[in-house]
Parts: sequence; C-alpha cells; structure tokens
Amino acid sequence: MSDKNIMLMAHLMRRAGFGASKDELLEISKRSYEEQVDLMLDSEPNYEVSKHLMHRYQPDYGSPMGNSSNGASWLYKMIWSDSPFKEKIALFWHGIFATGYAKLANGIVLHDQIKMFSKLGLGNYRNLLIELSKDPAMIIWLDNCESHKGAINENYGRELLELFSMGTGNYTEKDIKEAARAFTGWTIANKEYMTEKSQRDSVWPYGRLAMHFEYKEEDHDNDEKIFLGEKGNFNGEDIIDIICKQKATSRFIARHMYSFFVEDEPPVPEWPYKEPNNPEAIDALSEVYFNSGYDIKEMLRFLFKSDFFKTEKVWNKRVKSPIELVAGTLRLTKEFYRPEKFQSATNSQTSFMGQHAMNPPSVEGWHWGTEWLDSGTVVERVNFSSSNLGNTNHSGIRKIIDNVRANTNEIYSPEILIDLLLQELGEIIVSQNTKETLIDFAESRLNDKELLTDENLSELLKLVGAMPEYQRA
Amino acid sequence: MTTNFDLKSEKTMGLAAMQGRGFYYPFDLALDSNERIYVLGRGHDYDTRGTRITVMDMNEEYYGTFASYGQGDGQFMWPSSIVISDSDKIYVSDEYSHKISIMTLEGEFISSFGQLGNKDGQFDGPNGLIFDNKNQLYVVDHRNGRIQVFDESGNFIRKFSSQGNNEGQLNLPWGITYTSDDRLYVSDWGNHRIQEFSTDGEFIRSFGSKGEEEQNILHPSSCAVDDLGNIYVCDWGNHKLKVFDKEGNFLCSNRGEGSLSKWAQDFLDTNVQEKEARLKADLVFELESFKDDPFTESSHIEKLFWCPTSISFHNDNLLIVDSSRHRIQVFNTVQKL
Repeated sequence: MSDKNIMLMAHLMRRAGFGASKDELLEISKRSYEEQVDLMLDSEPNYEVSKHLMHRYQPDYGSPMGNSSNGASWLYKMIWSDSPFKEKIALFWHGIFATGYAKLANGIVLHDQIKMFSKLGLGNYRNLLIELSKDPAMIIWLDNCESHKGAINENYGRELLELFSMGTGNYTEKDIKEAARAFTGWTIANKEYMTEKSQRDSVWPYGRLAMHFEYKEEDHDNDEKIFLGEKGNFNGEDIIDIICKQKATSRFIARHMYSFFVEDEPPVPEWPYKEPNNPEAIDALSEVYFNSGYDIKEMLRFLFKSDFFKTEKVWNKRVKSPIELVAGTLRLTKEFYRPEKFQSATNSQTSFMGQHAMNPPSVEGWHWGTEWLDSGTVVERVNFSSSNLGNTNHSGIRKIIDNVRANTNEIYSPEILIDLLLQELGEIIVSQNTKETLIDFAESRLNDKELLTDENLSELLKLVGAMPEYQRA
Repeated sequence: MTTNFDLKSEKTMGLAAMQGRGFYYPFDLALDSNERIYVLGRGHDYDTRGTRITVMDMNEEYYGTFASYGQGDGQFMWPSSIVISDSDKIYVSDEYSHKISIMTLEGEFISSFGQLGNKDGQFDGPNGLIFDNKNQLYVVDHRNGRIQVFDESGNFIRKFSSQGNNEGQLNLPWGITYTSDDRLYVSDWGNHRIQEFSTDGEFIRSFGSKGEEEQNILHPSSCAVDDLGNIYVCDWGNHKLKVFDKEGNFLCSNRGEGSLSKWAQDFLDTNVQEKEARLKADLVFELESFKDDPFTESSHIEKLFWCPTSISFHNDNLLIVDSSRHRIQVFNTVQKL
C-alpha cells in the first residue's frame, strides 16, 4: 500500500506541477507537506538544460519566426525545470489572459508575455493587471493601440472586466466605455511599423522584432470619468485600483484558482448562472485576496494547505489539459534529456489534442475540464500516452522498469506488479474496474516474475497510458 | 586597457528568406576560388525550407540555392558548418545525421562519411570544419569532445583532445579555424574559452573566462585570427564581436551595426507601405529590461548581433554570420588616429 503522505505529495505535484515519478516523490517526501508547499512557492527554478544550450541547437526557440517554436521552447522549460510550478503558474495565467499568434504574427512578443507571467504571476494582482495592460501582445490582441482620445476602441476595456477580473453581471456597458477611455494612450512604440509587420506577417528584412510599451500623453483622454460608481480623471492604473477593490474580482480570481488547481468548474461563460462547486472555498480564498493585499502567492499558499485541496475526494479528478498531459508524460519518460531534433514535432502533439500554446481559439481561451475530451482528441491523447510510456528505450521508462523488477524479488503476484507500476508512475489512482483490467492483463502475460521482460512490461505500460485515469491529474 | 585598434562596420548582406534570395538562421559560410560565398542555412523544425545553401558574392549578386532538408544524399537535418577545399569541393557537417557531405560547387552530391558513434571516423554531432595547408580536414566532433582529422576523401587520419574542462580538453566545442603559422583555434563553447592547438593536437594555450564583462567570453561559437595574431571571437552568449591580442588581452568589442543590405533595400523598395512605416520608426532605444540581458536587447534592436555563429576573413573584411537576424555583417579593422 502507498504511504498517504506520498500520495498527498503526488496530488500536489500533479496539480502544482506536471506530476512526479516515485523516485522524485520519495525525495520530496523527506520534507513535510507544508514545507514542500512553501519551498515550491518561494524558490526559483533551475533548468537542467540551459536556455543557451536550447538556443544553440534550436535557434528559433529564442527568436521565433513562426507560430509554434515559442510554444515548443516553453514546453521544454516545463520538462527541464527542477521546479515546474513557475511554468504551471504561467500556464494558469495564459489560460485566463489568453493571447494568440493568429492576430499578432509575432512569436517573440508572446514569448515575452509568458516570461512576464512566470515573473509576476505569483505577485500582486494589481501589478499583474498593470503589466498585462502594458504588454505589447495584449495591446495588439485587444486593439488598445487602436483606442484613441475621442475615438475609443472598447475591446480591452470590455475584456479587462469580463474575462480578466470581474466577470459578466458586475459592471455596465458605461463602465466598459469609461475603462476604455482611461486606457487611451496606452500603446506600443513604433506602432505603425509593428502593426504593418504583423498585418503582413512580415519577417523582412531581418526577422521578427520584439515590442515595448509606450504611453502617449497626447492621446490619453484625461477628462473626468465615472467608473463603478467612482468619479475622477482616471488613468489606467486608477481603473485597475478600482477593479482590484471589488468583491467580484476576488471571487472571479478565486474561482479560476479553484478550477485550475482543485477541481474542474464549468466554463467561465456559465459562471454567472452556476454556483461554484465549493462556495466556502471561494469565500475563503476571497478573504485571503483582501487580507494579503491581492497577493496571488498567499492565496495559493492558503489553497495548497487547505483541506479542500488536500481531500482525497478531488485526487485524480481533473482532466489534464493537453499541455499538462504531454509535459507530464515527457517528464516521466525523460526522452528529451538534451535538446533533440524532434522535440518540435512532439510539441505539435498538444495542438492535435486541442491546445496550441499561445494560439488559443479566442480571447476567452480554452474551455477546460471534460471539454478537452472528444472522440478525436481522446484518440490523440491515448496514442501519445501509450506510445511514449511503452517505449522502453526512454531512460525514464528504463528506470521505472528497473525499479519494478528490483521490488518484485521477494514476493510476486500480478496485483503487486500493478500496485508497483502505478506507484512508479506517480501514484496514479485507478478505479476498481480499471485495476481489474490491468490485473487481468498481468495474469495473462506477466503471471510469473520470470516474464517481466521489456516487451511484456512495455505492453502493460501502454495499457496504463490508455486507461482513463492517466488522462486525469 | 587602451588600444589604438577598432572595428568599423562596412556593410550588411542578406535577407531573412526561406526561399530565393536570403537565408533562414544561417550558421556558417565559405568562399570558393571565384570568391562566391556559400551561406549555409540551418532552417528550423517548423519550416525546413530554410535548410539549404545560398550562393552569392560580396556585391550581393545572387547565384541561386541548392541542397534541402532530409536525410538523403545532398540533404541535411541540422547543418552546422561549411568549408570549401582547395579543389573547390564543398564539405558540410550535419550534427543530427552525424555525417560530412561532400558536394560540387553546383550542389551535386559526391559522397559522405561518418555515422553516430565514438570510434575513429564516427561522430556525435560534427560541426566546425576547416582545412589546413596540407588539405587535411579537421572536424569538431562536439559531443565526443574531440577533433578528428581526415583526408579530402574522408579517410580517418588521427584525432586529439577529449571531453572535459582541463587544458586541452573540450566541452561541446563549436567552430575551428586554421592560421598561416599552422595553428588551430577551437571555440570551446561549453568552457567559455578559445583553445590553441598545433595541427598535431598538442595543446598550446587557451584564453577566456566565463562572464559578461568585456574581457570575458560567454559560449564562443567561432573565431578568426589576423596576420598579427589578433583573435576575433564571436561571443555568441554575449551577442558581441570581441577582439583579443595574441596574448589573449582584450582589445575591443562591437555589439553589432547591422544596416540595410542591398536585398533588404530591394524588399523595402517594392513594399512601400512597410518602407514608409519603417522610416517613421525609432529602431534604436534603451529599456530598463535590457540591463544585463543582451539576448532580450537583441530581440528589440535590429542592428545588434543576435547569436552570431561564424566569423571569417575575406581579404581585409571580417564576415560575421548574424544567425538570428538572418544576415551577414561585414566589418574591417582600423587604426585609431
């Protein structure tokens, strides 16, 4: 039987990272659960493969010309990080502040946006919203560079309220327009040239150019505005100050956190009409939001240490997003222990499963939960998981097989084999029905420890990769 | 240290292009006896059309392209270096396929040699290539941490160095150059230094230390040596061209002075809207986020070097392959008055 503490650690690593092997869990479990949460929140990651090494072999990972290599470079940070929580946080914010290549035609600015999420994503929410409002990718994505004094484009003002902070039903159309007025003058430098290059998808003469924020005082509407009941000559920062004070904002962010880290909630458009799964948890997180001065890290510290996160009821219940599935599998198999030629092709797998990083279907981002699963994407997910877990040439799989063989020396039975294997793969929890299926297979092919050949274990690992529980975190 | 030595930008050549005139992530170049330049495009995994060789000259006359992505004869996966023999044969290293391909100047495949391994004549990621004056080909076998020497047909002759960080050892080396006094200089990428060897493989000296300061080097990719023994280093990790004297003392550096090439000007002249917008743009500026981060600075400021991968002399000109900006920056040296 597995140690409960190790199983809890496994749950934490699936949610706050991309999963962990048994060897990693044993190492982590030398600390208490609370110590591990604090360490994860407070430490900076190291990468087994440096960005220099990655850029040497894959120069486009640092200076992307198209729409995929920035996603590939991010995926490999997820794999090579000793503390993937920072990448998970960036993924969390990317899901909410979804910004896409389709309109930007510039991977560098998207790459820079993800870097910003990694850097500021655990800080103060006010600061994050301000930097988001200055982010060149967001400015182009939601047309704020086309919003001018006397001729506003309300796209950013609308999504700031609807998708990034408060949610529908908590503001008026007038508030949207007033917010848009306050953000006039918030644009990008060299706007004409940068938008011309984006619109023409131009890589000429010398590749893509990164962009930076510029404030144009002369284009800012400095007249009086009335926003959410407050009156003043508001600029963008003032609008964000007012937004951050709202109860609706605290609940909106709390619900996103709960949905991403604890259990799948309905898609965001349904939130005005459906109560949260756990209203008490949302209330408690909202309280931390205000008590900590909008501190995201403190909200997450509270979340990870709370009973509603630790309870077994939520273990292995969330559907993994394609990026989580691919990154988690590659961390287990360790097939890319150094930069390799076909890592770009492997990154494309997430697109086949419905999630092209930095290229969301709309400003609303992706719908998570069971919406990841349809007849097409399930086939892609199962094929990927099975073929990678079943490849005994991968060093991570070799280690798992060696550990299984080493631990079946004294006593052996198909039941013991299945327990060992599920532990090695990161304490995967399976239903009784699934377990019986796995045991049936083991009884037919691996009924004696002499039969623990690479070929037989590969077949069993493929079966584990195909089971529904492997698709959940 | 003060010096009366400096670098002067002459011009820029090339254009980002995966087809026709231009290059996509060029990694290296070589000149034939007719002074035509063969630019080796690395391409990238999501657009392999850029994996090819573009032929041009110093006046940016374009003579066409050949080679393509793949594992067949005359194709490359991760091409890394190109050199041309005295008999005008092209040699290209492929650090994915672990082989050296030999081609005519017209791009006809002649033969190839090498396969994955660590035995004599085998490679794990061949990259830097250079011929000496006896027509011996030196191949940087980078993941094996050694240099292998072959005749023009690809027959193994000898090898030297090993993986490590002691004197004479190599850690993921990249470029190699040969000088008129029969010396070899290897860019020891992983050890942040340049190492000098005799052609017999005897270690002579090294210089360079890891860092971001002027006297430091961060992951050098390539170097060239002038008649005075001054060493010109592509400081790949600092995105600079640096010059050291023959004792390894820092002389000067340059962050890049890319300008519009003839091909770039042609592009803008036929795309007037983009040209007009560009003319209004301020393309040189400073930001706080650039501090201590030359990579990010290079992503914003077009004129700067961005991952320079190769440097070589042609007459008095220094040709620097400015890989992530898909162009060649041409410099020469000047004496300050």
